[in-house]
Amino acid sequence: MKDPSRIYRWLLLVASVVTIVYLVGAAVRENYLAQWRTVQQEYRSILREKATDDRGRELLAKFRVEMKQASIPALGTVDRCVTCHNGIDDPRMTDVPQPHRAHPGHILDKHPVDRFGCTVCHHGQGAALTFNEAKAEDVFWDYPLLPSELTESTCVACHDAEKLPPDQIPLLVTGMKLYQEKSCGSCHKLGGRGGTLGPALDNEGAKTKHQLIMTNLRPPHTMWNWQNAHFRDPGGVVPDSQMRNPTVTRREALALTAYMLSQWKRDVPESYLAPDKIEQKYRALHPLPLTGEQVYKQYCTACHGNGSYTRWDKKFNRFIPAIRGVSLIATATSEYFQSNIEQGRPGTQMPAWGPHAGGLLPEEITGVIEYLRSGAGGSGAPAAPAMTALTLRGDANKGLSLFLRNCAGCHGMNGRGGLAPEIGNPVFQRAATDEFIIRTIRNGRIGTAMPAFQRDEAPAFSDRDIADVLAHLRTLGEPKGQKAMAQNAILGTPPGGKP
Amino acid sequence: MAETATREFLHNLHELPHTVKDACFRLGKEPESEREESHATFHNLFLHIHSVRVHLRTLKPTLTFGLGLMATASFIITIITGVLLMVYYKPSTDLAYQSIKDIHFTVSTGRFIRNIHRWSAQLMVLAVLLHMARVFFTASYKKPREFNWLVGLGLLVMTLALSFTGYLLPWDQLAYWAITIGSNIANSPREMTDAIGITKFFDPGGLQKRLLLGANYVGQDALIRFYVLHVFVLPLALVTLLGVHFWRIRKDGGLAKPEDPMGGLAEWGGERRPVFQPLATKTYGLMALVKGKRPPVNRGPENTVMSWPHLFWAELSVLMVTVAVTLVLSFYYDAPLKELANAAIPENPAKAPWYFLGIQELVSYSAFTGGLLIPVIVVVGLALIPFLDRRPGGEGTWFGSSHERAVFWQSLFFACAVTVGMLAFTVNYGWLRNWFPNIHQLWIIAINPGSLLVLIFAAWSLFILKRKDSVRLSAVSLFTCFLVGFTLLTYFATVHRGPNWHFYWWPSQWPVH
Repeated sequence: MKDPSRIYRWLLLVASVVTIVYLVGAAVRENYLAQWRTVQQEYRSILREKATDDRGRELLAKFRVEMKQASIPALGTVDRCVTCHNGIDDPRMTDVPQPHRAHPGHILDKHPVDRFGCTVCHHGQGAALTFNEAKAEDVFWDYPLLPSELTESTCVACHDAEKLPPDQIPLLVTGMKLYQEKSCGSCHKLGGRGGTLGPALDNEGAKTKHQLIMTNLRPPHTMWNWQNAHFRDPGGVVPDSQMRNPTVTRREALALTAYMLSQWKRDVPESYLAPDKIEQKYRALHPLPLTGEQVYKQYCTACHGNGSYTRWDKKFNRFIPAIRGVSLIATATSEYFQSNIEQGRPGTQMPAWGPHAGGLLPEEITGVIEYLRSGAGGSGAPAAPAMTALTLRGDANKGLSLFLRNCAGCHGMNGRGGLAPEIGNPVFQRAATDEFIIRTIRNGRIGTAMPAFQRDEAPAFSDRDIADVLAHLRTLGEPKGQKAMAQNAILGTPPGGKP
Repeated sequence: MAETATREFLHNLHELPHTVKDACFRLGKEPESEREESHATFHNLFLHIHSVRVHLRTLKPTLTFGLGLMATASFIITIITGVLLMVYYKPSTDLAYQSIKDIHFTVSTGRFIRNIHRWSAQLMVLAVLLHMARVFFTASYKKPREFNWLVGLGLLVMTLALSFTGYLLPWDQLAYWAITIGSNIANSPREMTDAIGITKFFDPGGLQKRLLLGANYVGQDALIRFYVLHVFVLPLALVTLLGVHFWRIRKDGGLAKPEDPMGGLAEWGGERRPVFQPLATKTYGLMALVKGKRPPVNRGPENTVMSWPHLFWAELSVLMVTVAVTLVLSFYYDAPLKELANAAIPENPAKAPWYFLGIQELVSYSAFTGGLLIPVIVVVGLALIPFLDRRPGGEGTWFGSSHERAVFWQSLFFACAVTVGMLAFTVNYGWLRNWFPNIHQLWIIAINPGSLLVLIFAAWSLFILKRKDSVRLSAVSLFTCFLVGFTLLTYFATVHRGPNWHFYWWPSQWPVH
């Protein structure tokens, strides 16, 4: 009779051999073939070469081949980078190859590894024991190792960038300046101040690659690579992006990338913060107002340019008024400017800039109005000349036909705008006095398409016509739904909340 | 006197190695006779659940393929590696991920141990499913094994629950979003209660979800619940049920097998031997102890061999093959570990563990039908099989009764065609919501690709019942349809579903984030 368990005994033999081979293989691979063991053995021979004095001999004697780590509970990090970067704080290790070399510069003098670790500045996966996993670009890790030139962006986690020596953070300094020069604040909020057309950037540096559209980006798909490419060509990286191309050089794009990386509301323990960082945090609670010119350059330029011309913006299909134009300045009161700036123009792309919306301080709004006035024709604003009072009561129905014939072409039916400002806009209706409107119709706007309807030599409108048109204009602000919506747009914006 | 006591003591001391050895290994040598071999079996706690002799059919590899043992073996492996992992794992949302990273990077061979745990768990789910299919197709659920079929079903559910609860513990993105999906499946009765507007008063879905998570979201409460279930409650329950399962195998007369032929001469391991003839004066009834025709009086020949060593070689070899397969997998493929769980960054697509992906596909049609109704129908249907198909015959043989194999192949092709057709139709043309955007949700709950599949499969098995006039064949057709549906839906959701649950031919075509 054939042995019924013969096949099982063979199977058992084969399976057992495989088991033993793989168990031994795994034990050897995980314990003896680890990359860092070879590295540490190399480092030991470097130590031996350099052991010329007592101190060197002592270091050699103390050296053990073992896993090393900087465990920083306060920062929540365990960094095992020093397992391979053994010479990181040994000043003699300047002429040896990586990974044995000492840290460049004198950063470690004030930031010892055993107090700060590595990943708090460099990012990367500190727990890893192979370079590929520590670099963490192709493995599952939120914050891969930063390229050396961008490492400066993490300094601001504990320092006030403005108090650091500029030569230590060259990119950040440029980036900060560019952010203001390019008037990024016109569309983006930062620290509670800025427009609402683009996303707020307060925590931009904390974003991971999974929060960005990588489809059109050439690898490596890292967050900074995305930022960098995006600053060079926003529409090429994010299809349908509305962001204007900031037209920057390569270095400037890198600088803006560094600045974005630095925008990270990180929870660093108080004891790690530099004194100037704490001061900066207090300063942010009581900000010093900017001058009118600074505000204009940082928060208005992106759309209004220098403010002396009106233009039609094809990309956004919108009309941009000349807010520093001669006749507007001559006609409008400061209250008119103030309510338009504080409340914006709901339904258009002009956001509200009041303290609870765009984050401008009352002093800054006053300042920027002064600045608007200062620019008209290069000289101070001419005081609005006294005007003959218009006491007629207009007829809205007559005004309608006049409006349709003379105004609707640019201002749109119902005053919904088009090639010219939205005069049906509730904020306009509330802010503009009768006098302001009458004066504008009479005199037109110099330098824009708005003609004067009552020139001395050829009056197109009589005083009665103007009164009729005014009466009609005042009906435009009435429709209830539109008003309610506008109210929401103004009041519904919580301070610092999502626009 | 004192002198003899001292001498005795010294003598005992001298004999110590032998006496201890004799006490531990009571037989003291390799068993030589069948009597000693049976001794070796039933005097050992771990072996005595086996019968002393085992039928030759039981030892045939192609009868069972060792699937049940393989499931048990992988369970033992997960227990051992699981205990090792428990030493380092910290069940807290702040520490869990870091502790897994530490296991991965610094614990000596920790990564290997975690890989083994992961792969043997996957192997266990697979083996349990295949084991169920084996038992069904060899008709081994029939009397007297109905109860053991039910126990096995309980073990299947528990295996899935064990694997599912373990999924959350690493607290990475994969875990977080898979459990979010899983808990939303638990929440699926809400689609029905919402549709008829009674959620405010009666919300079994919300209750299920909150019981599972301990909150309305996946957080610390969910983690500790899953941990307790995973390391204590479920393993304990599974071991208990497994004991019952084994005990029933023994009590139901070993593995199911056809009756041995009556009388005369018969084959026995390639030899022809006379059948055992009972003496008229003797009683052979031991039926009170073990169900079935025992001892094999009037039947024969006795096609049995000693369990020691034959059965134990077989069992040991299956155990070692499982270990070897797991080790090889673990050596080359790391268990996945994604980024730290982050509620702000949804995984897209967020997929449940693979064995729930068929259900997730059904849930994408209708949460209530796919997440509750169909799984309940399937489990209840499986449980009813041995009670609806009661005619004996075909036990212990693959496709034992006549026409079974033909019906199996017919059903296989039928179910493949229907399932693939249904999936292709749904992908290309959408479903009711796409055609009638304002339709009431109840219509979709009632009529969707999942419910239609169930109805078509049921109709098919009724057709077989009528046409072949056999309950067994009807059951074969339905079970085959279930297997095909499960496999194809799981495959489809694994490979062809991408971000936003859209159809893609391959994962490489998914848009990159």
